[in-house]
Amino acid sequence: MYRVGVALVWLWRVTFGALFPTTCKYHPSCSQYAIDAVRERGLLRGSLLAGWRLLRCNPWSRGGFDPVTK
Amino acid sequence: MIFASLILGSPLTPLEHAARHALNWIHYNVGLPWAWSIVALTVIVRMILVPLTIKQIHSMQNLQRYAPQMKEIQKKYKGDKQKQNEELMKFYRENNINPAASCLPMLVQLPVFIALYYALRTFAKDPPPGNPSFLHFIANIADPTTAHWGGFLLLVVYVGSQMASTLFMATTADKLQRRLFMLMPLIFVFVIAHFPAGLVLYWVTTNLWTVGQGLITRRLVPKTPPPELFKRSSRTPPKDDGGSSGNGATPGPAKPAPQAGPRKVRRKKKAGRR
Repeated sequence: MYRVGVALVWLWRVTFGALFPTTCKYHPSCSQYAIDAVRERGLLRGSLLAGWRLLRCNPWSRGGFDPVTK
Repeated sequence: MIFASLILGSPLTPLEHAARHALNWIHYNVGLPWAWSIVALTVIVRMILVPLTIKQIHSMQNLQRYAPQMKEIQKKYKGDKQKQNEELMKFYRENNINPAASCLPMLVQLPVFIALYYALRTFAKDPPPGNPSFLHFIANIADPTTAHWGGFLLLVVYVGSQMASTLFMATTADKLQRRLFMLMPLIFVFVIAHFPAGLVLYWVTTNLWTVGQGLITRRLVPKTPPPELFKRSSRTPPKDDGGSSGNGATPGPAKPAPQAGPRKVRRKKKAGRR
């Protein structure tokens, strides 16, 4: 099931991600984080985690090393 | 995009309706033609995003001051992308840098884009009353961009504006990556050619806004001087290497900061050895 999430992230990567080139302030990047999250936590919780990460990835946050916690 | 629309079709109808309502409101209440309503909608969206982008531009300028050091880190961990990123993040933290790039502002624009795409598709199926053209060179904003000669002109403007906005917004200091980003629109133009002209209009407008914003913030915010300690080291031109022995004869005593001069050339060599 998590593959759906991974496929969606890739869809994003090859379309808009490539169109609006920015690099993420976090490591791993938001898209990689989303893939890791749905792999580790499943589609639902992983998506929620990824959504929260995206909200944190705003100009006021500090960024940095922030992997999905096991 | 067709594939995406098949998957995402139904949950996105509220988005489409929102875009349609916004366009209707601008068209009927403000009295702008449809094409200019799209431009107005874009401008409204970008105005809402101004605080986000201004912060982003500021931190980008701050980031560029540290470009030499960051390049050094990148060189050091050339083979290991992950380690390189981690070290960069550490460098940010140590120097109190807030990296410019962030995913949220970019992501906010995506729903608007998708909503407009769907709204324009409905436009094509069921054209509303009113003039659908734009400045006499786009016959119908709901038609595919290449349906009319004006569309090609719009595509040219798109490529130009996208490149220009990349110049302002590309948050990487890496030259190669920057160049790659500059080439992107040349590839994407083939995909975009099938989109409704109104969508390309949105894109052009948002790009031009980015450029304008970049120009204004650059003018308003005085360029911060680069941090002095390391700058000279990695920017030392190669001719200095050879000329170090015959330094006295060189006609370049105009160097402004003699205090940091020759020792730093050595530093560069050290960095290469590491």
